[in-house]
Amino acid sequence: QNVLTVCFSVGYSAVALNHVIDFKEKKQEIVKPVSPSELFPSLPIVQGTSKRIKVLTRLTLVVSDPSHCNLLRSTSANIRLYDIIAVFPKTEKLFHIACTTLDVDLVCINVTEKLPFYFRRPPVNMAIDRGIYFELLYTPAIKDSTMRRYTISNAISLMQICKGKNIVISSAAERPLELRGPYDVANLGLLFGLSESEAKAAVSTNCRATMLHGETRKSACGVVYTVKKPRKVEEEETAVPACKKAKTQA
Amino acid sequence: AAAFERRVLRRVAEHHYLRVRLELPDGGARPNAAQFKQLVVTALRELHGEVGAALPVDVLTYEEKTLSAILRVISSGLVKLWSALTLLGFYQNRRCAFRVLQTSPFLLALSGNSRELVL
Repeated sequence: QNVLTVCFSVGYSAVALNHVIDFKEKKQEIVKPVSPSELFPSLPIVQGTSKRIKVLTRLTLVVSDPSHCNLLRSTSANIRLYDIIAVFPKTEKLFHIACTTLDVDLVCINVTEKLPFYFRRPPVNMAIDRGIYFELLYTPAIKDSTMRRYTISNAISLMQICKGKNIVISSAAERPLELRGPYDVANLGLLFGLSESEAKAAVSTNCRATMLHGETRKSACGVVYTVKKPRKVEEEETAVPACKKAKTQA
Repeated sequence: AAAFERRVLRRVAEHHYLRVRLELPDGGARPNAAQFKQLVVTALRELHGEVGAALPVDVLTYEEKTLSAILRVISSGLVKLWSALTLLGFYQNRRCAFRVLQTSPFLLALSGNSRELVL
């Protein structure tokens, strides 16, 4: 809760709380996410606008075996409650599967150890077409200097393949002191080899696109929600992502 | 009539100014000005090595009470300094964090902060 308070004061407009599920341990159940309204009865307003800060929930699956991916296809009700789903592949095959066929919003890139596999262009390009973003963490870089080297080297090798598109930089902060402001994080993107506009997008536009991707993923899975639209043109625009999703699944 | 002379400088500004604040939540000893400069140089050395530590950084003002300072750095070194401050995690084995409040190529711009306006 302290971390969230610091987030709000530093200037973020949307925060996602992460639950990590590791399949190596036995019998992990997907628990219901903590509802944000339990933590904060009323969320403070974003500086400069009149909207409230959004707090979303996010699930990260650490997969080291193809059978773990079956969980995503199952109709577990608890998965639907999460706004964003991320997968953390440990092998090259799983990275390929995650980029091409899995129904996720984010693919996490390991920053704490040397990558066991090299990135190849075909699965990365397919992921970019499908609207999946690659995530880099920056908090390990604050804690330890060996992690810093791994973070920067993995980020640079990712940049060479994906040319800076579809990157999201996020923190895995567990304490309020491990958090950094949005412009500081955008500056870190410059270190990784992004251009200035790509670095700022990695903190702002790409994150918003991930949120919307999560929403369309929810809506294409059989849940119907109608939103009153003033003009018909707008309706077609929001319907397009859902159709695209259906095409790739079929 | 007085003669006016107008000079337009198209060059990029020489120095960049940063207003930063160090957050040290535990109630230990606070660094004085020299220790603060040492901390900044250490941060640069940890991330960018000896070349980074040699970057000409000046601490223009330092307040020990609030642990906030105004730093000046040559414009080409802004990214290095900012990233080094961002990734600094420890001061004398105590957790700390640098918060960059304002940055500008002009010192005068640091005097007004639009984020602290009460609307």
